[in-house]
Amino acid sequence: MQTSTAIPPRSATSEFSVEREWHSDRRSPARWVFSHIWRYKIYILGILIGSLGNAGGGALMPVLVGRAFNAVVAQPPDIGSLGLMAVLIVVSQIVRAILQLGRNFSSEIIGQRIERDARDELYTSLIGKSMSFHDRQSIGDIMARATNDVREVNLLMNPGVNLVVGSAAFLIFPIIIGPRIHPQLILVPLFYVVAYVIAVAYYLRRLAPATERVRRAFGRMNATLAESIEGIETVKGAAQEEREIVRFRGMVDAWRAAAVGQGDVESLYLPSLIFGMTMALGLLHSLLLYHAGAINVGDVVAYNGVLMFLQFPTFATQFAYPQVSSGLASARRILELMNAETLLDENKGGYAGQIRGDVEFDHVTFSYGKDERPALQDVTISVKAGQTVAIVGQTGSGKSTLTKMINRIYDVDAGCVRVDGVDVRAWDLDALRRQISTIEQDVFLFSRTIAENIKFGCPDATQAEIEQAAKAAQAHDFILSFKDGYNTIVGERGVTLSGGQRQRIAIARAFLADPRILILDDSTSAIDSATEDLIQQAMFRVARGRTTFLITHRLSQIRWADLIVVLKQGRVVACGSHEELMRTSTDYRAIFAGDDERPRKSAMRARRPTSDSPHEVRGALDIEGREWGMGSGG
Amino acid sequence: MFMGLAAEKYDRQYSDRQLLRRMAAYFAPYRGRLIRLALVVLAITTIGLVSPLLIARGIDLVGVQPNVGAIIALCIGLLVLSVVNWLCNLTRRRMTARLIADVIGQMRNDAFKATIHHDMAFFDEFQSGKVITRITNDTQELSQVTVLISDLISQFTILIVLVIVLFTISWQLTLALLVMAPVVVFLGWAFRRVARLVTRSGFRAIAEVNSAIQEAVAGIRVAKTFRQEQAIYDRFKQINRRSYEVNLRRGFVLSNVFPTLNAMAGLGTAVMTYVGGLAAVGGAVSVGAWYLFIISLEQFWFPMTNIASFWSQIQGGLSACERIFALIDAESSVKQIENSKLKVERGDSHDRTFNAQFSMLNSRLRGEIEFKRVDFRYNEQQQVLRDFSLHIAPGESVALVGHTGAGKSSIIKLITRFYEFQGGQILIDGRDIRTFDLTEYRRQLGLVSQTPFLFNDTVMNNIRYARPDLSDAAVEAVARRIGGGEWVEALPNGLHTQVGERGQHLSMGQRQLVALARVLAQHPPIFILDEATASVDPFTEKQIQAALNLILADSTSILIAHRLSTVKSVDRIIVLDHGKIIEEGDHATLMARGGHYAMLYDTYFRHQSADFNAEVYQKLKA
Repeated sequence: MQTSTAIPPRSATSEFSVEREWHSDRRSPARWVFSHIWRYKIYILGILIGSLGNAGGGALMPVLVGRAFNAVVAQPPDIGSLGLMAVLIVVSQIVRAILQLGRNFSSEIIGQRIERDARDELYTSLIGKSMSFHDRQSIGDIMARATNDVREVNLLMNPGVNLVVGSAAFLIFPIIIGPRIHPQLILVPLFYVVAYVIAVAYYLRRLAPATERVRRAFGRMNATLAESIEGIETVKGAAQEEREIVRFRGMVDAWRAAAVGQGDVESLYLPSLIFGMTMALGLLHSLLLYHAGAINVGDVVAYNGVLMFLQFPTFATQFAYPQVSSGLASARRILELMNAETLLDENKGGYAGQIRGDVEFDHVTFSYGKDERPALQDVTISVKAGQTVAIVGQTGSGKSTLTKMINRIYDVDAGCVRVDGVDVRAWDLDALRRQISTIEQDVFLFSRTIAENIKFGCPDATQAEIEQAAKAAQAHDFILSFKDGYNTIVGERGVTLSGGQRQRIAIARAFLADPRILILDDSTSAIDSATEDLIQQAMFRVARGRTTFLITHRLSQIRWADLIVVLKQGRVVACGSHEELMRTSTDYRAIFAGDDERPRKSAMRARRPTSDSPHEVRGALDIEGREWGMGSGG
Repeated sequence: MFMGLAAEKYDRQYSDRQLLRRMAAYFAPYRGRLIRLALVVLAITTIGLVSPLLIARGIDLVGVQPNVGAIIALCIGLLVLSVVNWLCNLTRRRMTARLIADVIGQMRNDAFKATIHHDMAFFDEFQSGKVITRITNDTQELSQVTVLISDLISQFTILIVLVIVLFTISWQLTLALLVMAPVVVFLGWAFRRVARLVTRSGFRAIAEVNSAIQEAVAGIRVAKTFRQEQAIYDRFKQINRRSYEVNLRRGFVLSNVFPTLNAMAGLGTAVMTYVGGLAAVGGAVSVGAWYLFIISLEQFWFPMTNIASFWSQIQGGLSACERIFALIDAESSVKQIENSKLKVERGDSHDRTFNAQFSMLNSRLRGEIEFKRVDFRYNEQQQVLRDFSLHIAPGESVALVGHTGAGKSSIIKLITRFYEFQGGQILIDGRDIRTFDLTEYRRQLGLVSQTPFLFNDTVMNNIRYARPDLSDAAVEAVARRIGGGEWVEALPNGLHTQVGERGQHLSMGQRQLVALARVLAQHPPIFILDEATASVDPFTEKQIQAALNLILADSTSILIAHRLSTVKSVDRIIVLDHGKIIEEGDHATLMARGGHYAMLYDTYFRHQSADFNAEVYQKLKA
């Protein structure tokens, strides 16, 4: 964890920051991109010199060709001069190529550095965001921004800006060279530039929505397709192939319409018409001037040659500007993510003692959004240090939300959560979280060795400590069953571990980290009884001696918990030990009674429920007592 | 990036001829449009050639002291030509956009239609992501092929006409021009090659870096829980630097292309200027003709590089087409036999009706299932069922249990007709399963797979997926039959809750409930369930059991059971091992026998029982 005095106000509420002397301007996408480009002034200079040199060298060629013409039509023809011009053409074009290369290299360097820097900035900002932010954001979406969008910003620079600047240089030279031949010859190039700017603006304004429509239609088509293919078993099982085909055809038709629309916008590209007219007008103007004796043959050739160079901006635009605008759109998406406020702050200098482990929920109410149904409503629980609390309830009853209040992944809307009698908001965030570990339902492992994964929270742990933790977590044996033991690489580029194995690695992590409070989201179940046995032991051991919150589906765990909290739609409907709840709660009893129940079809048909649980009797009657709702035709 | 490029088993080699002929078939319906398009392209080509001729003519006029009228006429001609040229280009683009969109759309529809009718073996074997890429992205490549071919034709025309015109003006200068051609061709070809090389190796590196970045992003959450932000950031920085280096190297190589081409063009111009100038001085050509040669250089240069790289550019497009055709042509192993044919095979030749129809199932099946000495294998090495026989009475419920690979899911795959078997017979209500119309037959099956699939729609619409005709009220009634509808109340928006992509807004348990409700709504005579292994909270589990009981009471049911309560609730448990039935009976009987089932119970089901819970509790307490 680093902090610095130089961090800007924005980072004041961040959970992580890196010391840097440079900061981007995040007020708008354009400013942001510009502030990134502006860091590399020397390469900007390289682009400018390169572009001007390239265009200048290009414009020089027709001038030299024009001189060659004059040399040939001179009386007598000047062969020496002709040869000189040929040599000059070669030299100038080689110099031009070198300058162009310099321009390309410069813009390549800037583009790649922007990609690197922007990604770094985004990543740092992501690490600084609160867990609640990461809970809300889909990982796929963040990844898309960290890879594709960052790449788009690179492309915005190169070839985007590179071409824009490069082609702009080509616009300038006819305006410079024309009047040098004859003052009047500024007219046609000037006409072109003005008309070009207007036409391009018009074109881009129409193109953006058309492109967006195609993109969206394509996305929808793709999503429909993906759904049909991924759900193919369901489609075939329900014999709905024809319907899917019709649905897909509709999407293809929508895409076709959008694609044709974009084609129509693209076909109406006025700059190329303006270019053609410019060429005709230029020839006319120069020939008339020649006729009037104001310029010579070489001038006519040179002038018309220079005008030809307008062709480059004419066609480069069609490609370069959309690239720039899609880059800006990506920049906007990246900024959105970075500028999203993180709700919590580190609260440096807050209370930072050793946690004993008392946890108290005091009339806690919380909802994820203003308009949403509260995820927790008036929850009051008191847990003593070292107790194990099982939290049970249906999906969506608020089980995970409850635990997220403790380590401040979310802050309460009303009420208060206290750890050791101190409001969690008064704790130093670092001190609080350091002493609370979470084992999530979906255990994430890095593509590194098993040992590295276990010691992730304590990088200094020795091999002996790692093995000890693994043994306590019942993971040692299966780890040794791999050829490379603790050095086995896991994850995407290595061995795939089963859910039960990942869970035990996570438990080993928790043993090493030795937190005072442990939150265990255990919603997986082992396929076989032997593994189940191991996991149960591991969990029991890791829970011992610390305050443990268990979100569990396992009846045995519920049973050995000191305190059981039954949640229903965000409210505590029952709370107590197993024995107490068996006596007092029908909801609770229903779960445990379920195990003895044998819902036999024959029994159902005879309307003779076999269960002795009152709840079950009611349930069965409910099922049976109802008319068979709908006409069940085959 | 390379995802779509790897070869699949169903891929096959088509000769270029076959490919082109098949692509031509897609364009055939638009013959008229193609001809019009060709005419427009021809017009554009002609104008492209005439304009420089006019300008050269203008330069020639300079020599003979022209009158103003001729100059104006010439320039108006040029102006008109440029407008016509623009209009032709506009028309060409509009026509091309439509043509390409129509052809690609048709190809996508064909590819999808063919794909959706492939049997399940196909989908089990091939990753859906890759199949999708073929249908959407590979078809897109077709537009590139179309543009490339039409460009090639127009550029060839330009070149040929240009060379002929130039020859008539000055064969010496034309020869000088042609001498430079091989250099251009070689350069164009060489650059494509180099570019492809660096691009390919670059992509591989980028793919690697991308996956590392993805891990770094996904790992943030873990890093935060353990306060390891600095460590994960340092690691990220390393990856990011590598990404930068790889990209920069690739960028530098590609940066060379245009400067080199420009330098070569400059050299060519210098040569033409000097050689042409000498010729003009010697009186071999006019000054205008000389100018024409210099500006023709550009006209010559560009098509040449393009033609030189045509084959390497079109390769991508052609192989994309090959991938699409292979997808369309992949053969289905599930084959239904027409009734008449079957009768012929059986020898009932006197009863030949020649009515090439599959058995239509107009009435509801009773649900009797019989396997008669069935042989089934996925491939030559993997014989799953041999001489397998099983009879399931109408209305009976059967649970299949056994270790992985015992043949449980194979039996289900055969009943659903997702796979073809090799020997024996499967009879449904006494009729050969191969004679049914597949759509009609599957309409009578209720199927819930291990990971229930939901469509990105409301819960309501997911429930009536197999019965689109059901009213909202009817769906509601079905949903309420399960445990009194308590599960519906737990959904944030009741039956109108959007389930999200693949149902991700719902919990696993809720997804199972929706899938079971779907079957309840369908009310099929045969119900097939591959039970999910994911654990579910005890409350939801109760409701799943309630839904299951409702279905079991009404349909012939075949279940692959993973939950204790499921095996307890069926009429008959069938224990499978290596494709053979080794034990059958109900739970109590089999447990009492203490045989294979008792062993399986110990391995897979014991931990779900109350006894196990009590036992663990005691053990841990001690």
